[in-house]
Amino acid sequence: MTSRTLVAELLIATPLCTAAAAALVPHRLLTRTAALGAELTGAFALALVGITLSHPMQAQVGHWVTVDAAAALLVGVIGLVGVASVLVSPSYLRTMTGSVEHLQRRERGYFCLLFAFWATALAVPLAGNLALAWLLVEGTTATSALLVGFSGKPRALEAGWKYLILTSLGLGIALLGVGLLAADVPRHGLAGLSWPELSRYSGTHQQALVAYLLVLAGLATKIGWAPVHNWLPDAHSEAPPPVSALLSGALLPAALLVAWRVEQALAPVLGREAAQRALIGFGMVSLAVAVPFLWQALAWKRLLAYSSLEHMGVIALGIGFGTPLALAGVAVHIVGHAVAKALGFYAAIPLLDHEPRSGGHAAVGIGRSAPPLGAAMGISLGSLAGLPPSPLFASELLILAGGVASGHALAAAIATVLLALGFLGLAHTLLEVVAGKSRRHNQARPAGLAPVVRLACVSVALLLGLLAVAFTLPSTAFISALMRGAA
Amino acid sequence: MSGEAVWALVGLGLGVVMVRRRSVAVALVTGQAVVLVGVALAHAKTGGDIIAAIALGARAAALATLLLLLVARSREARPVRAAVAPLARAGLAVGFALLLTWLVSITAVRSHVAYQAVLALVAFGVATVVTRRATLFQVLGIVLVENGLALAALTLPGGSSLVIELGVTLDLTLIALVAALFHERIFAEFGAGDTAALRSLRD
Repeated sequence: MTSRTLVAELLIATPLCTAAAAALVPHRLLTRTAALGAELTGAFALALVGITLSHPMQAQVGHWVTVDAAAALLVGVIGLVGVASVLVSPSYLRTMTGSVEHLQRRERGYFCLLFAFWATALAVPLAGNLALAWLLVEGTTATSALLVGFSGKPRALEAGWKYLILTSLGLGIALLGVGLLAADVPRHGLAGLSWPELSRYSGTHQQALVAYLLVLAGLATKIGWAPVHNWLPDAHSEAPPPVSALLSGALLPAALLVAWRVEQALAPVLGREAAQRALIGFGMVSLAVAVPFLWQALAWKRLLAYSSLEHMGVIALGIGFGTPLALAGVAVHIVGHAVAKALGFYAAIPLLDHEPRSGGHAAVGIGRSAPPLGAAMGISLGSLAGLPPSPLFASELLILAGGVASGHALAAAIATVLLALGFLGLAHTLLEVVAGKSRRHNQARPAGLAPVVRLACVSVALLLGLLAVAFTLPSTAFISALMRGAA
Repeated sequence: MSGEAVWALVGLGLGVVMVRRRSVAVALVTGQAVVLVGVALAHAKTGGDIIAAIALGARAAALATLLLLLVARSREARPVRAAVAPLARAGLAVGFALLLTWLVSITAVRSHVAYQAVLALVAFGVATVVTRRATLFQVLGIVLVENGLALAALTLPGGSSLVIELGVTLDLTLIALVAALFHERIFAEFGAGDTAALRSLRD
């Protein structure tokens, strides 16, 4: 067993053990156990990223586990967002009401589900074959649906139900595609669906295309690509904020990586252009659907959810363009989006305490009524809008330049217009949040503000660091490793 | 695979799209699962195949128990009316199945009839989810799709490995369990397992 495989196994085992421990430890030790589990998991994630990125071209590709540059990127992101989500969770749990015994039971259930969800999400990018990746993506649905409906409020139940039914149905369609691929790979069984074996698919071009489109369309429901994104704004807005952060910043790109790996594996059979065109199509439709919503005065978390739709579209475009420039943009975009989006969702905890109406209405004038909270929301929204010096500005620039370089100038031009429109919509909201007229609000210091302010400081450092490396990335070995993939 | 088994699976699937009572629909999907276990045992060549067939049977029994328990625990004064009439639902489902078969007819697999049955079951499952308002029927729609996929695993050349089949069975049973939990919570909150009550989240 190599050091990469060992660390990968420890990385998955730690949150699973913490989930089990959360069910067993005395309640007074629950938060500390969760924090310890999160820190250990974060350390293993960091170790795996370090080991892999020190030699990005040396991928560990097996039938069960694959540790390559793309897996390291996603593990780093999921690890980072997961640690932050666990650490801000006590602030969210303190907002719940009920009897002491009832609350203690719910807190225990929350941490068990959160760690189980986190472990499954961490395992997705490390899956060594398509069947295992499908099982893990479906596995995330079971745990995260319960978390979406965790508050038990009617709106949360509605969101959880939609999420469960739509994504399960979509993944059923994807499984049909997996079955079709399994029928024509040289080796049968689990090994036949490993990423390298998948590239040796022996069926016809048309058979491969049908299977690929079924897998892609099915995964699109999980990634939240339009037009099968209906669950996304509901689930992200009704889930507990730490869970929304994990769903948006970690789970969506993890499912997207599976689609990317399938595209890379089948490109020799399908032809690179055909494989990429489907991704560009999903990207353009997602952008076009998201932009009108970014112009609406939506509740904070709902706005962030539509922004996820936009950003998943941007990432799909980058993967579809497939040049070193575009993939460097994709890498920066995945990390930058996760950091900025997670901060935005965490800010919803003090926001709801400060201005309870913001659960259903647009947040206005927070910069005036609660400057630290307004600053955190402003950093998140400014970054997501792509306002310089946000690294998302750099990543979008790289992706669009990559589009032109790959010969998709028209798609890049349309995307530029859509991104500019999206930017204007978010910039207007940013002004309203930071400098708008303040509404009636709770005069006391918002509960749960301190961890959000600390995370805002860390986020600024991370985002600026990301910007510093963004333009040097295209010529690195890391991007060459992303181009090569696991196949 | 015999033509009778294929027709039985498709007929039972179409029944789920059309019937009004939840308990009858549960009986129909369970009947499908029994046919699938029979097909799996008839196709079994290795010990692994037999274990996969047993797992399929265990899943069918577990799902039937769970779904019937849900029906008993969430009795409704009158069945939740579907938005579309039974014959229109059937027409829609068959039309969708034919469209799907036509769209993917280029994937000429060895057992062509069985493959058409797989697509029909997937189409019926989607049609059930789209046209039925009752939460339990939406769960049954997913079970229909799952049964179609189980048929695919049994009939597609090469099939899949025991590990994958057991994993898929476990995963899908887990999803059905979570859906059952949601159904109970929705019934407790709204007094009916009716998705028409779940329409407050709109922009």
